[in-house]
Amino acid sequence: MNVDRRTFIASTAATMLTGTTVTTWAQDRIVKIGMPMDFTRVYTFVTAEYAQGHRDYLTLINDRGGAGGYKILADITDHGNDIPRAIEAYERMKREGAVLIDPLSTPVARALVPRALEDKINMVTTLSGRSDAADGEAFPYVMPLSPNYWTQAGLLIDYFRQQDKDLRGKKIVLVHIDTPFGKEPIPIFQALAGKLGYSLQTFPYAPPGNDQAAIWPQVRRAQPDWIIFWGAGVGQTVALSEAVRNGLKMDRISSSVWLSESDMDVVGKDACKGVIKFEAAAGGRDPKVIQQILSEVVGKGKGAGQEAKVGTSYYNIGVMMAAIAAEGVRKAAEKAPNGPVTGPWLNAGIRSISDFTAEGMLPGITVTSQDHQGGGKGRIARWDGAKFAPQTDWFTANQDLVWSEIKKYSEEFKKSGK
Amino acid sequence: MDLWLIGELAITGALVGLMYALVAVGIVLVYKTSSVANFAQGAIAMTGSYVAWAFATLMGAPLWVAIPLALVTMFGLGFVIERAVLRHMVGQPIIMIIMVTFGMEIFLRGMMPGFFGVAVKRLDLGIPQAPMFLGEMLINRAYLIGGITSAVLIVGTIVLFNSRAGIIMRAVSDDQGASWSVGIRVERAIAIAWGLAAGTATAAGILWGSTQGVDWSLSLLLMKALAIAILGGLDSIPGVLLAGVIVGVCESLATGIVDPLVGGGTRDIVASLIILMTLLVRPYGLFGREQIERV
Repeated sequence: MNVDRRTFIASTAATMLTGTTVTTWAQDRIVKIGMPMDFTRVYTFVTAEYAQGHRDYLTLINDRGGAGGYKILADITDHGNDIPRAIEAYERMKREGAVLIDPLSTPVARALVPRALEDKINMVTTLSGRSDAADGEAFPYVMPLSPNYWTQAGLLIDYFRQQDKDLRGKKIVLVHIDTPFGKEPIPIFQALAGKLGYSLQTFPYAPPGNDQAAIWPQVRRAQPDWIIFWGAGVGQTVALSEAVRNGLKMDRISSSVWLSESDMDVVGKDACKGVIKFEAAAGGRDPKVIQQILSEVVGKGKGAGQEAKVGTSYYNIGVMMAAIAAEGVRKAAEKAPNGPVTGPWLNAGIRSISDFTAEGMLPGITVTSQDHQGGGKGRIARWDGAKFAPQTDWFTANQDLVWSEIKKYSEEFKKSGK
Repeated sequence: MDLWLIGELAITGALVGLMYALVAVGIVLVYKTSSVANFAQGAIAMTGSYVAWAFATLMGAPLWVAIPLALVTMFGLGFVIERAVLRHMVGQPIIMIIMVTFGMEIFLRGMMPGFFGVAVKRLDLGIPQAPMFLGEMLINRAYLIGGITSAVLIVGTIVLFNSRAGIIMRAVSDDQGASWSVGIRVERAIAIAWGLAAGTATAAGILWGSTQGVDWSLSLLLMKALAIAILGGLDSIPGVLLAGVIVGVCESLATGIVDPLVGGGTRDIVASLIILMTLLVRPYGLFGREQIERV
């Protein structure tokens, strides 16, 4: 093989550069986190923006020297919501030293629970996964770190109560995707119906929800006082479109956290003015941390995706989870500055997070060894035609009921492992 | 039971069924001319809606330009599929040809969201969203316009099949060998059928894309289209028209009447049940031609 001078010099330079990079990383103190996510199948509506926000925040933190002196290195891969692929990715990441895994998929998270508990790897289940994982005593290494679906249901109902003063005799309709995720909040809605005196009517639709033509005429005829639609992706946009076409009042329609600016764009920004949703993190570009990302990361050409997506609901949720993970690392480094970096080391850090707001973007998140939900606070936001505007301050509600449900199922998990 | 509700569900179901039928027409067209079951029809409909969206949104073309451009592009794609893929399968076992169409379905379903992005996209045809009432019944304008457009296009396909080009395609479907012997360019006729199938799928994809948004889930139209094609008769275009209405009304009424009794989930069972019952009771469908062979 002939090697000319140019090739030789280029190869030598590349080799030296690689060596320098490796040496630099090796000298850093690093925390590895794994993000096997669904970029291609079911959760496509959220994953790209979530991962972008997550990566941008980590770039911000790492460029500033890391969290507690540790740089956080994220390994991102696609599991396509396929459990064998997700397990394969999990095992690889475990071998490579990941101490936190964020699969962003309820079925994958459910499948990984026994492994995470056995391997003592912290598994983040952002606004997904099993709701009973909020019980840190039963699930010490499963970390929702965000309000679960039961809490979201409890908050929505409490908001209705605040608006109408009394829900006695009112009718609330739940239109939901006919999957375990769609059925998840029903026990809370039913329990609250008994407590507050409203009647609940449910309308399941077949997944993924692209045809709901026969559902919404029935909803309209039920003449509900409030409507909650509970799905994701195309199911959400179709639900909202059908509600508009059936002439239902937008300001009496609400959703779980899975509703974004992109959905509003599909339905028509003006057509769905007034619709309500649960919010776990402040949206938009106003939060200080988003401003910092814009100037220090995106502005310097280091952004992980389109600038237009910075500040969307799902982008900010990604930032939220990266910020909580980084705070966990900082706390862990406070407790044991020299590590070693292991799952239990990070676990101790995460479980000592106290009143963390990510500079005002979040309600105060407090994680304890009992409460992995982080306090269960959120707020209600309303679409004003251009953005989701907050309607309440951060608050929590009906947590007694939510926690009795959490305990019921987590006790069952302790007994049967299911 | 509320009769107004039943009436509303029946009308909505019939209109939705006609929109499904427009996807099914492509399956019938291809089967009629080449005896190939086209399992890529759902993904072709999805691709057509992505293409229309790309012309309208990415390239900024007005709808009256974007839609014809999408139809022509997809007609060309159908032509290419026949020329580049199906023609090489001539003489291969039928199961392999079916697998090839399945392969195209999977390829397109992965390719389009990968290329254009996975988020649901808005394709606004300018249909007013305000409700329209007929007595106590709400007529959904999106489905009304979608259903009527589909019916017109299906009738147009029937008319086409009675024109000179249609007669050539019918001759090909009757007997390819005899058609060759009288100088008909059989491959060209089959390629035109694929082009037309892609064109009707695109029209359906655009209509559905405007009602639900454009994303991968449009490829799921295949299941309904198959039920309709099998019920109507795999080689009968008029059969598709009636079968579409039947499938749509049955699904809609099942959702309204049976779902509350069993807790939901019957809509998709209806299509499966129709496929199963048709194949068991009347395998050639309502209007399909019964093949009688001397053995």
